[in-house]
Amino acid sequence: MKYQFEIIVGIIVILFIGVFLYTASVNPDAEFGGSDGVGSAVVSELTGVAEDDVAPLIPQWAPPSGEIESGLFALQAAFGGIILGLGFGYLLGQRKINQN
Amino acid sequence: MHVMEGFLPPLWAAVWWIVSLPFIIYGFVELKRVINENKDALPLLGICGALIFILSALKLPSVTGSCSHPTGTGLSAIVFGPFITAIIGFIVLLFQALFLAHGGLSTLGANTFSMAICGPFLGYYVYRALRDTKLNMYITVFIAVALADLFTYVITALELTLAVPAGDLGFGGLFATFLGVFAITQVPLAILEGAVLALVFKYIVDIKPDIIVRMKIFSEEKIKAARGE
Repeated sequence: MKYQFEIIVGIIVILFIGVFLYTASVNPDAEFGGSDGVGSAVVSELTGVAEDDVAPLIPQWAPPSGEIESGLFALQAAFGGIILGLGFGYLLGQRKINQN
Repeated sequence: MHVMEGFLPPLWAAVWWIVSLPFIIYGFVELKRVINENKDALPLLGICGALIFILSALKLPSVTGSCSHPTGTGLSAIVFGPFITAIIGFIVLLFQALFLAHGGLSTLGANTFSMAICGPFLGYYVYRALRDTKLNMYITVFIAVALADLFTYVITALELTLAVPAGDLGFGGLFATFLGVFAITQVPLAILEGAVLALVFKYIVDIKPDIIVRMKIFSEEKIKAARGE
């Protein structure tokens, strides 16, 4: 079967979405915040220092809002996407030249 | 898998930097060598590096009700080895520390160690162990990539366990707590990442099987077997 692999990966993606929908429905309080944040909360609990009071060892710039943060993440993914397309495009072009 | 700025005491922040630095430096040397000597491999290097950029920017929801992101390092570790993957992963983490406040400069050593060093190394050795077995090579890639992803988060859990006073929980109890936060969340993501990157690898093999053979990633027989020839 030609698209066997794609179908398997598609099923895994659908299962992944299904697990998310199931988790969200049985656990309506789930915030789906970052696990980094959950980990930090555990640390704060144990050290007794509130998360906001943790002093950075090296001063750090933080995106002023969630919008700006998501924009920068999109930029990171877009940069990767451009390079990915360039790489595959190059390989496809090379194959075409070799075929002729 | 980011340990946030300020969450490691200075001693541990320094330890992880010192441990990571040789890998980053040697990775840089290796990367320069590949760029100068193996021009054929450049598109492949772009693809593998780009996947780390893309996947580590994707926050996905998981069974624990929190979100995490894949690492994307497994394929690069298989194709170019763990050292080159270390430098690419380091660049991504540096970007996130500088502009996104995901992980900080003091914890960059620890984050590099988990995502750019331990994950890729484990993935690489899993691939090496399975490469010459009868297993279909796409399944080999799937397993190596998924375990590289998962192992990254096991190491993050370990780093935090070592840095925080365990109190009543004890070392094992605390490690289990952090594994619950990081590794359990990661299991579905690791499976998804393994499947997607195995598919990407299949496309590379379909377009350019000769370079996979030339770089000795998989043998010609393996490729033929996997493609049903």
